[in-house]
Amino acid sequence: MAELKIDNVYKSFGEEHILKGISLDVTDGEFIILVGPSGCGKSTLLNCIAGLEDVTTGDILLGDTNVTYEAPKDRDIAMVFQSYALYPNMNVRKNIAFGLEIRKMPKAEIAEEVARVAKLLQIEPLLDRKPSQLSGGQRQRVAMGRALARRPKIYLFDEPLSNLDAKLRVEMRTEMKKLHQRLGTTIVYVTHDQIEAMTLADRIAVMKGGIVQQFGTPQEVYDDPANMFVAGFMGSPSMNFLRCEVTKQEKDYAVQIESQGTIFQLPVDPKQADLSSYVGKTVVLGIRPEQITHVMPHLVAEQYITQVPVKIEVTEPTGADTLILARINDQECECRVHPQEAGKVGESMELLFNMSKAVFFDEQTEARL
Amino acid sequence: MLASRKKGIDYWLPKLVVSPTLVIALVFFYGFVLWTTFISFTNSSFLPSYELVGFDQYVRLFMNPRWLNAMWNLVVFGVLFIGICMVVGLVMAILLDQNIRAEGAIRTIYLYPMALSFIVTGTVWKWLLNPTVGIEKFVISLGWDSFVFDWIIDPDMAIYTVVIAGVWQASGFVMAIFLAGLRGIDTSIIKAAQLDGANLFAVYTRIIIPSMRPVFFSAFIMLAHIAIKSFDLVIALTGGGPGNSTDVPAIFMYQFSFQRGQLGIGAASAVIMLMTVLAILVPYLYSELRTPKNG
Repeated sequence: MAELKIDNVYKSFGEEHILKGISLDVTDGEFIILVGPSGCGKSTLLNCIAGLEDVTTGDILLGDTNVTYEAPKDRDIAMVFQSYALYPNMNVRKNIAFGLEIRKMPKAEIAEEVARVAKLLQIEPLLDRKPSQLSGGQRQRVAMGRALARRPKIYLFDEPLSNLDAKLRVEMRTEMKKLHQRLGTTIVYVTHDQIEAMTLADRIAVMKGGIVQQFGTPQEVYDDPANMFVAGFMGSPSMNFLRCEVTKQEKDYAVQIESQGTIFQLPVDPKQADLSSYVGKTVVLGIRPEQITHVMPHLVAEQYITQVPVKIEVTEPTGADTLILARINDQECECRVHPQEAGKVGESMELLFNMSKAVFFDEQTEARL
Repeated sequence: MLASRKKGIDYWLPKLVVSPTLVIALVFFYGFVLWTTFISFTNSSFLPSYELVGFDQYVRLFMNPRWLNAMWNLVVFGVLFIGICMVVGLVMAILLDQNIRAEGAIRTIYLYPMALSFIVTGTVWKWLLNPTVGIEKFVISLGWDSFVFDWIIDPDMAIYTVVIAGVWQASGFVMAIFLAGLRGIDTSIIKAAQLDGANLFAVYTRIIIPSMRPVFFSAFIMLAHIAIKSFDLVIALTGGGPGNSTDVPAIFMYQFSFQRGQLGIGAASAVIMLMTVLAILVPYLYSELRTPKNG
C-alpha cells in the first residue's frame, strides 16, 4: 500500500494529445475513481500509472519513489482488466500463482497465498478449472484474486464490471466496496458508469478531453459541480439545464422562467451564486430533477421554493418515483414526483421548484458561476 | 400455387447445385479409394485382375528394400520438414508480431513461396544446389576454393536438400497460421503478464505458445499431409536420386503402379499411405470434434 502522486502528466500519440496535464494526489488506502465519457483519456492514464504506456512528460510517484521510467514489473502494481485477461492455458490456481512464481516465491508460501485469496473471494471450488469453464462473474473474481495475491502497493481496475450483466454488476459492486473496506488498499478504478463512481469512490476524478474537470468526494461532485460537463455527467436522470434571464428583486436576484404563458421569478440563494453582474443577461440554471417535486404542504412557504404549474409532456414511471417531462422556457425539464401525485400526459400540474441547491453556469464558457 | 412452386425451387435448387460435386466426390474419391484397396488384395500386375490373394501384396511390399528405404526417407523428411517449418514459422511469426513497420509487405514476401508449385521450387533449388552452377560455384568464385556443398549428389545427404527446399516453401505459410493465432490472443493478457512480472520470453513460453495448442495442431496436420503426399518436390529436385536415395512412398507407388506394371504392390503402398494419413487425422478430428461438449 502506498500513496500515488501524479504530477502534471502529458501523453501524446504524435499530434494527438490524449492527456493534457493531469495532476492527482491519492492518499494511502483511498478508493479513487476516474470517470468520463469514452475517449476522455481515463484508460490511458491508468495504463500510464501501470507503466504499460510511457508518459510524454510529467512524473508518477508511488510512495517515495519516482516510477515514471520503471518497467511495469518493477512498479509493484496489480491490475484487473475489462476482459479479465486470464491466462487461458492455466487453471485458476495457476492463474493466481503465476505472478508469485515469476517472483520466485517458495512453493509452500505460494500455496498458502492462493488458499488465502481463494477463501477471501470464495472461489475455492473453482481452483482446478480452466478460465473457459467459468462464468463471467467467476472470471471476474479470479481476475481480482490474481491481483490480490501479490499484495502490491496499489491496485488498478480498468472497467472491471462492464462485461457483467446488470444484476451481477450491482452485486459485485457491493462486494468490491466491502473488500476495499476490509483490506484498506489504495485503488484507482476506471469506469464510464457514473453510478459506479458515486457508489464506490472515496473521491472521483471526472475527466473529459484529457483534463481532470473536477476531483472531489462523490457528494462534492454531485452538489457542487465545477462546470456544466460535470453537472450533466454525474447523476441519473441528469441535471436540467434551463437558459433563463437574471432579474433584480428587492435585495436579491432571481431567474425568470415561463410556463404555460405565465412568468415566474425563481429566487436565487446568494450562497449558491452571486449573479449581480448578470442582471438582464442569460445564464444556465442547473437544477436536478429531484429538486422539482409535487406540492408538499410543509414546504410551500419556504424561502427558495416556488410553486409553478406546468404542462406534462411525457411521464416515465420508475416505480419509486415518476419522472415528468415538462416544458419550461420552451426547454425540456425533467421533474421527479411521487407516483400517486403524478398527473396524466397533456394535463397541467402544480410543481415546487426548490432553488436551495440550484447551480448556475455561464452560457458561453459553461463554467460555474 | 405460385408460392408453392417457388418453395419447390428453393427446396431443390441447393440440392441440384451440390449434387454433381457430391457424385464426383463419391465416385472419384471414395469409389477409387475402395477400388484401390480392393486391388491391393488381388494379384494384379500390368493390368487389374480380380483374383484375391489376401495379404500377399503387402508381404511383398514390406520385403522390398526400396519400399523400406522410401518409408525411412519419409520419416527423416517428415520429422525434419515439420519440425523445422514449425520452429522457423513460429520464430518469424513472433518477430513479425512486435508491431514492426511494413509488416504487410514482409508477410506477403514470406508467404509467396506457397504460391509457387512444388515443381518450380524443386527446379529452382536443383539449380541452386547443383555444385557446378549453384551455391558451391558461387562461393568458389568468391575465392573460397575449398568450399564444398554437394549434398544433392551425395546419396547420404540428398534427402536433406529436399528438407531445405520444402522448408523454404512451407515455412512462410506456417508463419501466417501462427501469426493469425498470435493475433487472436487478447493483448490485455500480455499486459497482465507484464504486470505479473514476466519478461517477454516468459510471456511467450509460459502463456502465449501454450495457449496456441489448436494452432499447432492445425499447422502440424497441414504439414504432415504435405510431407506424406510429397511427390512433385522430390521428382523436380532429385528425381528420387541419386540412385534411389531420395525415394519417398509416393514415388514408389507411382513407379510400381504405372511404370513397372506391378499394380498390386502399388495399390498396397497407396493403402499404407492412406492409413498413415488417417492415423494422424483421425485422432485430431476426434479431439477437435469432441471439445465443444467440454467447453
